[in-house]
Amino acid sequence: MKKIKTRDLATFLGFVMPGLVLYLFIVAYPIIYSIFLSFTNYNPNIGGKWGFVGLTHYIKMFGERTFWFAFKNNMIVVAVSIFGQIPIGFILAYILYRKQVKAANFFQSMVFLPQFLSMIVVGIMWKMLFMVDGPVARIMQAMSGDPTKQFTLMLDPKTAMIPVGIALIWVYTGFYMIIFLANLQKINDSMIEAAKIDGATETQIFIRIIVPLLASTILVSSILAIAGSLKGFNLLFGITTDGLTRLNVEVLPLLMYRVAFNDFTNPLRFAYGAAISNTVVLISIILIMFSNFIGKKLGTDEEY
Amino acid sequence: MSYNENMVKTSFLGNYFTKFLSYFIFIFWTLLTIAPLAWMGYASFKTNEELTISMYSLPHDMFFNKDDEYEVVQPQLNIVYPKKIIKKFGFEVSDYDIINEHLIIIESTSMAPGRRVKVAFLDRSEMPSEINALKNGDRLRVNELPKKYQRQIHWDTVFWNYTSAWVRGGLGGKFLNSIIYTFVSTFFVILFGLMIGYAVSKLKFKKLAALIVGLIGLGYLIDINQLIIPLFLMLSKIGLTDTHLGIILVYSAFGLPMAVLLTSQYIRGLPNSLIESAYIDGATAFKTFIAIIVPMTVPVIITISIMSGLGIWNEFLLVLVMASKEFTKSLPVGVYSFSSRTGTQLGWQIAALVIATLPIILVYFIFQKRLAEGVAGGALKE
Repeated sequence: MKKIKTRDLATFLGFVMPGLVLYLFIVAYPIIYSIFLSFTNYNPNIGGKWGFVGLTHYIKMFGERTFWFAFKNNMIVVAVSIFGQIPIGFILAYILYRKQVKAANFFQSMVFLPQFLSMIVVGIMWKMLFMVDGPVARIMQAMSGDPTKQFTLMLDPKTAMIPVGIALIWVYTGFYMIIFLANLQKINDSMIEAAKIDGATETQIFIRIIVPLLASTILVSSILAIAGSLKGFNLLFGITTDGLTRLNVEVLPLLMYRVAFNDFTNPLRFAYGAAISNTVVLISIILIMFSNFIGKKLGTDEEY
Repeated sequence: MSYNENMVKTSFLGNYFTKFLSYFIFIFWTLLTIAPLAWMGYASFKTNEELTISMYSLPHDMFFNKDDEYEVVQPQLNIVYPKKIIKKFGFEVSDYDIINEHLIIIESTSMAPGRRVKVAFLDRSEMPSEINALKNGDRLRVNELPKKYQRQIHWDTVFWNYTSAWVRGGLGGKFLNSIIYTFVSTFFVILFGLMIGYAVSKLKFKKLAALIVGLIGLGYLIDINQLIIPLFLMLSKIGLTDTHLGIILVYSAFGLPMAVLLTSQYIRGLPNSLIESAYIDGATAFKTFIAIIVPMTVPVIITISIMSGLGIWNEFLLVLVMASKEFTKSLPVGVYSFSSRTGTQLGWQIAALVIATLPIILVYFIFQKRLAEGVAGGALKE
């Protein structure tokens, strides 16, 4: 009996080990490494000498204006997804669900497409479209009749997030459309039919039945949106040029990259960069837990 | 179905106004999505000069090039010679005398003039005497050349943006690297993901299985971008930065959380009786895996392949940080560095973007349905 058990265990481990070892080495170990790194003064310029410095990097980070500027920009990205992508995605999904347009497959596949493109390429494309005298500026010129009009939003740190938000909505709205559509199609028709027999109007059905039934989906989408928005890097990297415009739209991942990989003289670049990265991960985990907590309060029985 | 028809008739949504509004919203959004991509597509056939004058006009100059004027220029170090010509005459780019002996170099006077980028090479032995007699600075028109050269210059001109981006950006090698990264890593993601998925859902040791699933599930909270610093330090310590192996290892590991989640769910749904009967027939767990599990999980294998393949094809930061040699760079990194190097040649940049985008659009239209399922399924079960 015991022998069989050992053999079973060997089989089990044989199947699990190759992937698990790779995972532990490439994903799990770096997580611990990153946490450890952020508490040290690891110096790559003198062969990686290090000593513990406690929370120094975190304290320094929270005192820096660049950090809070990046944090603010990150929150704008979060807001764009929650108040832009999700509502528009929902409207588009609802139109498809109620079969209000013919050629639904065509429309659906077009709106769904952009998120699969390389975000760096999409970023560069939007950078071109938003050039000072680029395609968008030309449209503005034609519409206003003023041939000297230029597109300068990207150049001002106060407004640079507006074009970025437009690009983000362009990319990700289709993602939420598909998620909402998949869940709308799961709704049991008989429930709506019963409501109709009871004399409910279309608006009442929408507010009383559709929205509550999709509450958990909306919640999941928001969580995904928050987690994704905090980590967003490629699109913002592509849509800007090194230097001025990239600083204007700097979000936490971009700040981390600039600290860690752009300034080779800074001896604390990796340790401080790791502290920024860890903060991003921590914020996203807290937000996800918070959303889960609210979800439980709302009484949606789904688990995430 | 009958329910839906019924609803359209009776509901206020069925009236013309809402129909009109629905179409308006969708057509507007679809145009918004397609317009930039379509513009990129046709603008990639426009010259820089055309793009400056009018962003939106249809391409013209590159297609109607019979009357284009060219100027005879002297060899220079920055001229890029086609490999075929170098092979034929066997010269170094600095052997000006040998080059002049065999070739006449002409440069377009309308496309990027004076920069020695839009040039053509005329083999002296194939030229009539009046062209051979041309001196430095003399001008000629394309339709004065022999027919063979007219055709060649025509096609060179039409695809000039593309060939320039491909050659000057070294996109060929990077395209190959992207293919290697995508296919090899996806293979390992599937193999290891299926093995773990099978072990945790059909073999014994439920507690150990739950622990492993939980551990790997943690990977959902984090991706390559947040761990780029420790990954960089680790891989430089063991000398794997700037190697294909290092990059493939990272991609394979980070693909596992999704693969394990999807495969274990799918395999759990397969009937136990099948696996048991294989056991009774004396098959080992390994044989069962190959003969029963793999063939039965083909649908989920396809979904994972497309999702993780697209993700790897588009990944940027890892290669940006790890790869310092051209030898290991992938297509997105190549396109990015090309576009930041050639700020003035807008047409080339657009062509590079199209080269990077077209394969994905093709894959997208082939596997659209699976992608929608993958997105909806993966997101909901997270």
